[in-house]
Amino acid sequence: MQISNELRAMIGRRRPGYSLEAPFYRTKEVFDLDMDVIFGRHWIYVGVEPDIPEPGDYFTVPLGRTSIVVVRDDDMTVRAFHNVCRHRGARLCDGEKGSVGNVVCPYHQWTYDLTGKLIHTEHMGDEFDRSQFSLKTVHVGNIAGLLFICLADEPPADFEQMRQEMEPYILPHRISDCKIAYEEDLIENGNWKFTMENNRECYHCKANHPELTVSLYEFGFGYQPSPENADEVQAFRELIVREHARWESCGLPSVEREFLDSRVTAYRTERLPLDKAGESQTMNSKVACQKLLGDLTQRNLGGLSFWTQPNSWHHFMSDHIVTFSVLPIDPERTLLRTKWLVHKDAVEGRDYDPKQLSEVWHETNKQDGALVERTQIGSQSAAYQPGPYSPYTEELVEKFMSWYFKRLRAETGHETATVSPFAASA
Amino acid sequence: MSDVIRPSRLGPELWDATPGKWNADEDDTLICAHVRQETHDVKSFLFRAQSPRLFRFRPGQFITLELEIDGAVINRCYTISSPPTRPDTLSITVKRHPGGKVSNWLHDNMKPGLKIKALGPSGDFSCTLHAGPRYLFLSGGSGVTPLMSMARTLYELGEDHDVVFVHSARSPRDIIFRHELAMMTYGTSNFRTAFVCEKIGEARDWSAPTGYLSLPLLKSIVPDLAQREIFCCGPEAYMANVRAMLRDAGFDMAHYHEESFSFERQGVRQPEAETVLVGDETPAASFKIEFTRSGRTIDCRPDQFILDAARAAGMRLPFSCSKGVCGTCKSKKLSGQVAMTHGGGIRQREIDAGMILICCSKPLENVTIEK
Repeated sequence: MQISNELRAMIGRRRPGYSLEAPFYRTKEVFDLDMDVIFGRHWIYVGVEPDIPEPGDYFTVPLGRTSIVVVRDDDMTVRAFHNVCRHRGARLCDGEKGSVGNVVCPYHQWTYDLTGKLIHTEHMGDEFDRSQFSLKTVHVGNIAGLLFICLADEPPADFEQMRQEMEPYILPHRISDCKIAYEEDLIENGNWKFTMENNRECYHCKANHPELTVSLYEFGFGYQPSPENADEVQAFRELIVREHARWESCGLPSVEREFLDSRVTAYRTERLPLDKAGESQTMNSKVACQKLLGDLTQRNLGGLSFWTQPNSWHHFMSDHIVTFSVLPIDPERTLLRTKWLVHKDAVEGRDYDPKQLSEVWHETNKQDGALVERTQIGSQSAAYQPGPYSPYTEELVEKFMSWYFKRLRAETGHETATVSPFAASA
Repeated sequence: MSDVIRPSRLGPELWDATPGKWNADEDDTLICAHVRQETHDVKSFLFRAQSPRLFRFRPGQFITLELEIDGAVINRCYTISSPPTRPDTLSITVKRHPGGKVSNWLHDNMKPGLKIKALGPSGDFSCTLHAGPRYLFLSGGSGVTPLMSMARTLYELGEDHDVVFVHSARSPRDIIFRHELAMMTYGTSNFRTAFVCEKIGEARDWSAPTGYLSLPLLKSIVPDLAQREIFCCGPEAYMANVRAMLRDAGFDMAHYHEESFSFERQGVRQPEAETVLVGDETPAASFKIEFTRSGRTIDCRPDQFILDAARAAGMRLPFSCSKGVCGTCKSKKLSGQVAMTHGGGIRQREIDAGMILICCSKPLENVTIEK
């Protein structure tokens, strides 16, 4: 993609440790670049296997102006296609989710099987070679039931490394034996990078998330030491050491692995203790679902968190899983898609109540959405200029931005020369 | 196929030799010997082997013809109408079916001297497998053929079996083998026929009752119904009607045998979605298909796809592929059973929820569709 000299200059002069110049959050040119080099060439988290439990099930992924359809075929393989008919380009599958026999274009009934092969057309003549008009395929990556897609012809190969490293963490929660108990799409009125920046810090948690901070320790994501909090922070560190030893002995990998800006397919994971009862991210920190996941027998397994660049985070507890997918709509609007999973045999009304299950993150998402909108509005002011990230609580925000610029520079041919602004404090 | 003229079977050398038994594996080619017009739209085709052979089969069995029509190879099964007691030839009897690819081809092209490929004989619908003291043969339309083979056999064996042959036809002029059946009644004391015609047509002097076969009518024709071994062949709807009748009469169905025109019912897997009909028959009876939204009720034959019947009745329904692949014709079935052979255009759970693809569903009874 051609980019203007102005944007090229802006990419070149990005100041590490600071938020971005306003055009990065607002202009169509940057948005188009983001959709091309970030969302068009990296692994994007889009959903879970329980979204499509049976052959013929599909879900659609809106990604800017593009739509992808993810289907389960007759051999139970998950496949993804561009949601565009090869005839005259009509959108094929409607809605967020559905079920089909074959994929049939509602316009002229061009029919594709679930491998994307065109198998039926009328009125195209005897010489028409259907084999030239299969659906355009999209790569699918699957980490223990978390589904990623990649639109690039050649996707980043280090996905396989992430898969191998993450599977031992996630498999005990057995996503494939789950069902989606509740899901929610929230449109945030802000640029997708504001959504991600907001997610990568808990600087704002204490003042903004009364529900989430019932169970979530704010220390898990960096904290400035002070005499007032020294005891608490020390206690939290000791708790982590103790709990990690306990969980690891149960066969649950827990230690932090962090590659948020050091790999193309970048991620971080850690199993973190939860406060109070220590069981789940709920209003009383106890499990929201009486039937535990997989073969888990203990309730107090904390929360395994998994963050990926550029667009997802996930929390795995003993009783339920919450997954988040960030899908840009336009420069100033972003879709946040949240799903709550419980064991597929859990009975609604007996083992869990969807409202109780989802209320913490339902409220937290709303609060985050308002914060994102607040930043978006503020960034439109003539007075806006990039501000400094906290070296203590916003290190992961900087890692997100550092990754983002590395990828922009790599994909647009810029030289990469970045130094961690926090190197001295680390 | 070529018109090779063979020396007559009546030549002294051939006549005195004892031919071997016909074996379809080795002698898979038959030569048309004669074509006989049975009724206005029914012809019998007599075949002989390339070298003199004796045809030995169980009366009631069928052969499979392999025909090349318009460049495509088509297999069709036909029950044999001739008896094994006339072993020098083998015949099939075919009704011309409007739009029927094979029946029309045979009627228009098959003539003495032409060669065709044949497989068989096969099938276990035969009085020789269920010998009883008394028989009731029930046939509808060209379902008469296997029963004619059995009747001819029993007649020619000269054992004077007790047979009542009840044949249903559209009208008197549609009765196949009418004169030959009458001839058999003259030569025996225990062979009887009865014809049930839907309408009299041009036969103003027809005195038998008209309409469909019913239990009271059957009981009046065959009062000792319960003591008979029953053999039945005809359109699916006809046989379904017979079965229902016999059940109402408390008949012991262990003594009921039928030959289905549809191979699906015999558990033979068909390579194509299309049902192959023995005899290329147009069954007389049909089922009612009610479309609740359109407020239309149409007739659909058991061998006909519901979509085809609806279109023939002038209904405009959405469809595209006509072979169960695209799902455009997916409809909610409110009642009634159908036989559906789809091509992936519908999911099992949709079928479980009562959906069908009408382009590839044939009725098994009256059906109501929300469309």
